[in-house]
Amino acid sequence: MILRGAVVAGCVVSMALAGPRWLRVAQREHYLVDATSRFALRWWTSSPVNVAGLAFAVAGLLLSSRWPACAFATAAVVAMGPIGLSWRGRTAPLAWTRRLRTLALVWSGIEIAAVVGGTAAGQGPVAAAAAALAVPALVDLACGVTAPIERWLARSHVSRAAARLRRVAPTVVAITGSFGKTSTKGYVAHLVGGARSVVASPASFNNRAGLARAVNEQLADGTEVFVAEMGTYGRGEIAELCSWIRPDVAVITAVGPVHLERFRSEDRVLEAKAEILQDAPCAVLVIDDDRLAALAETRAELGTRVWRVSAHDPSADVCVIEERGALTVYVRGVEMARHVSVDARPGNVAAAIAVALELGVPADEVGRRLATLPGAPHRLEQTLGASGVVVLDDTYNANPAGARAALAMLRRLGTDATRRVVVTPGMVELGPLQAEENSGFAAQVAEVATDLVVVGRTNRRTLLRGARQSSSGAGPPRIVVVRTRPEATVWVRDHLERGDVVLYENDLPDHYP
Amino acid sequence: MNVTTAKVAVAFGGPSPEHDVSILTGLQAARELAEARRDVIGLYWTKTGEWFRVDASLEAADFLDGVPRGAQPLQLVTGAEGAGFVAGAGRLGRTRPLPVDVVVNCCHGGPGEDGTLQGALDLVGVAYTGPGVAGAALGMDKLAFAGVAQVAGLPVLPRVLLHKDGDGPGAGGRGGLGFAGPYIVKPRFGGSSIGVEVVADLDTARARLDANAHLRAGAVVEPYREDLFDLNVAARTWPEAQLSAIERPLRSTAAAEILGYADKYVGGEGMASAPRQLPAELAPTLVEAVRDAARAVLGLAGVRGVARIDFLSDGTSLFVNEVNTVPGSLARYLWVDPVLPFIDLLDGLIGEALGRPPAHYTASGADGTVLRSAGGIASKLA
Repeated sequence: MILRGAVVAGCVVSMALAGPRWLRVAQREHYLVDATSRFALRWWTSSPVNVAGLAFAVAGLLLSSRWPACAFATAAVVAMGPIGLSWRGRTAPLAWTRRLRTLALVWSGIEIAAVVGGTAAGQGPVAAAAAALAVPALVDLACGVTAPIERWLARSHVSRAAARLRRVAPTVVAITGSFGKTSTKGYVAHLVGGARSVVASPASFNNRAGLARAVNEQLADGTEVFVAEMGTYGRGEIAELCSWIRPDVAVITAVGPVHLERFRSEDRVLEAKAEILQDAPCAVLVIDDDRLAALAETRAELGTRVWRVSAHDPSADVCVIEERGALTVYVRGVEMARHVSVDARPGNVAAAIAVALELGVPADEVGRRLATLPGAPHRLEQTLGASGVVVLDDTYNANPAGARAALAMLRRLGTDATRRVVVTPGMVELGPLQAEENSGFAAQVAEVATDLVVVGRTNRRTLLRGARQSSSGAGPPRIVVVRTRPEATVWVRDHLERGDVVLYENDLPDHYP
Repeated sequence: MNVTTAKVAVAFGGPSPEHDVSILTGLQAARELAEARRDVIGLYWTKTGEWFRVDASLEAADFLDGVPRGAQPLQLVTGAEGAGFVAGAGRLGRTRPLPVDVVVNCCHGGPGEDGTLQGALDLVGVAYTGPGVAGAALGMDKLAFAGVAQVAGLPVLPRVLLHKDGDGPGAGGRGGLGFAGPYIVKPRFGGSSIGVEVVADLDTARARLDANAHLRAGAVVEPYREDLFDLNVAARTWPEAQLSAIERPLRSTAAAEILGYADKYVGGEGMASAPRQLPAELAPTLVEAVRDAARAVLGLAGVRGVARIDFLSDGTSLFVNEVNTVPGSLARYLWVDPVLPFIDLLDGLIGEALGRPPAHYTASGADGTVLRSAGGIASKLA
C-alpha cells in the first residue's frame, strides 16, 4: 500500500515537472488543439536517447499493472525528458499570462481527475503513470476545453474594438498572404504615412484577439487609415475578422506552402486567404502567382476594383522590376520611379504602391517616400560584422521562396569571397512537403555555398541528404552539424575571416528539436 | 490643504502625436513629486482616450506595449455627484471617485494642450495646472497667435494661411504672398515641429497640403530665412511672473534646415538632453528685447503655469514665433539663471492650480427676466 502510494506520488511529481515544458510548447503554438501532441511525438523521436527513453517509459507503464514499482521508470523519464526541451528557453521563456494560467489550471484538474479516478478504481499506479506519460495529450485536451472559454472572454474585447472602428471610421487596408504580409504592411504604413494619419497593427497581433487589442489600444480618434495584418490557421478565421474589421482595400501578397500541417494543401490555403476579398470593394493581388492571377479575373468579373501587381509583368497595374538591387516602378505602363535603391521584395513593394495610390496619395509623394522604405528586421538584413565578415540575417524567413531569394543574394555578395556559408535549421510547418522542400533547399545551398551549417535535429536528415545529392560540379560543400544556434554562431566566429559571407536562413524557436 | 498636502495626479499621454514625449514629461514630474514625498499618482491617458491610474514610479519602457501592467481603469465622469476620475465605474454599481485635488497636466499636443482636456476638467470641477481653455486654444493656433502678437505690436514674420477651402488674405491671387520663397510650411494647429517642411515655392507648398497629413487641417506659410536661429525662454506665472534664462538650441547637423522633431526628442530624456547654448550668448539689447516680448506674451496669450516662448533672431532683429503652453519636460531645464529646482517649479504650478482657477462660470444675470417676458415659443417661430 505504501509502495503504491509512493508510486502515485512519484508520478504526480513527474507531471508537475513536465507540465511547464509542454505548456510552453502549447503557448508557442498558439494553443492549437493538437500541436502539443505533435511536438511530443517529434521530440521523443528526435534522437536515439529520446527514443530509448520513450520505450523505457512505455515499458514501465505496461508492467506497472503487475509490478507497481515499474511506474517509477515512467515517472523518471517523464520528469526528465525529452532531452533538449527546456522549461525556459533561449528564444521565448514561458510567460505566465492569464490565458496560460487558465490552461494550467484546467490541465491540472484533468491530471488530478485521472489520478483520483484511477486510484478509486484500484488502479492508482497504472492510471498515474499513464496520466504522466500523456501530459502533452492532456495539455491538448485542456486547450480544447479552454478554447470556447477564451473565445467568450475575447468577445467583449472584440465588440469594444468593433465599436471603436465604427466611431473612428478609418479606411481599412487588410493584408494577408502566406509570406510578405508584415513587410507589405510596413511599406503601406510608410508610403501612406506622410499623407494620412496611419495606424498599423503590430506584427504579432494578426489574429482575432491581437487585432482587437491593436484597435482598442492604438486606433486613436482621427486615424484615417488602419492597416490590419490578418493571419490564418484555418478556414473561416479571416472571414470572421472581416465581419467586424470590414476591409476597404484587401491585399493578398502570396500563397505558399506554410502552415501546411494545418491546411494540408495549398488550395485550402488559397481558399482561406481569399476570404479577405469577400466584401472588399477593392482588391490588390500579386499576380505572379497563377492562382492569384485567376482570382484577380474572378473578382474583377464580380465588380471588385482590382489592382493587379507584379514583379515581372509590365502590363500589370503596378509593376516593380528589380535590377541589381534597385527598383523601377511602372504604373499602368508609365514609369513612376526609376532605379530606387532599396532592399525590398519588388512584389510586396508593388502591392504597397497600389494601396497608396488607391487611397489617393499623390504619385510623386509615393515616389519620394519609396527611397526611404524601412527594412523589416531579420528579413534578409545585411550587416558587416566586427571581424569583417558580411552577415546576411534572414532568420525571420520561413518559406522556400524567401530562402531562394536569400541564396541569390548570397551568390551576388559572395562572388569574390573565399567562403560562402549558410547556417540553417531548415524550414518547418510545410506539412507533407517539408522533407522535399528542405532537401531541395539544401541542394541549392550546395550549388552556392562552400559550407553548410545544419542547426538542430528537426530537419537534419533531409538537409544532409539534399546537400549530398547536389548535382553541382564543385562537389558538395563542407557540412557542419551543430545542436543549437549559439553553437553555430561560435563556429562562424572561429572559422570565418574578413570578406567571407554568412547567411543565417530561418531560426527555429527552441521548442523545436 | 496646501501645496505639500494636496493629492496630486500627474496626467500624461493622450491621443496626440506627442503621446510618447508626454509620457516622458509626466514620468519626470511624477518621479520628482514622489521623491519629495508628495501624495502623487499617475493618470495615463491612452492613445484611444481611455484613462488609467498608474504608479508614479514607472519607467518609459513600461509603456512600450501600451497600458502598463497593474494599471487601474478609470472613467472621467461629469455630473452633480461623484464627478471626477472614478474607479470601477459600472462594475456592480460600485464607484469610487479618486481623491484628486490637482491634476498636473503634462499632455503635449492634441486635446491635452488645445483646451479640450481643460474644458473637461473645468466641467468636472477638478483643479489643474497650465493654461485654461482659451489660453490653450490660442497657443495651439499658430495663425491666431501670430495675429494677436501682431495686433499688440510685437515683431512677427509674415504668416499666411493656406487651406484647401480657401487661403487667407495675401496667399496667391494677383499679388502672391507679398514675400519671396523659399517658404517654411507649418501645420496651423499642432504643438511641435511635426509636419513642418521647407519648400521652394508656393505651388509646392500647396501640393504638400494633400501630401502631408499634418497640413490638411490648414497650414501657415512664412518666409524661410536661413540666417535665423531659434531662441527660447520659459515663463511662469506663480507665485509671480518670472522668466528663465534664454536658450539657443543648436541644430544637430549643419544640413538640417529647421530644428526637427528628432533634434528635440530623440535622445532619451526629451528636450532636456538636446544640444543647446544655455544661457545663450547674445547682445544685451537682444536679451532685453526677448525679455520684454516674453513678458508681453504672458498676458496676451493667457499663459498660466509654465510656458516656453519661442523666438527667431538673426542676432539683431527679433521675431516672436510661437508659445508652447504645455512645454516638453515642463521646460524645467531652462531654469539655470535664476536657478529653480524642478520641485519648486512644480510647487508653483500646483499652488496656482489651487489658488487661481482658470474658469469662472457664472449664471448671474440669468435671473428669469427673459423667460418671463418671452411669451410662447410658437410666437417666436412665427
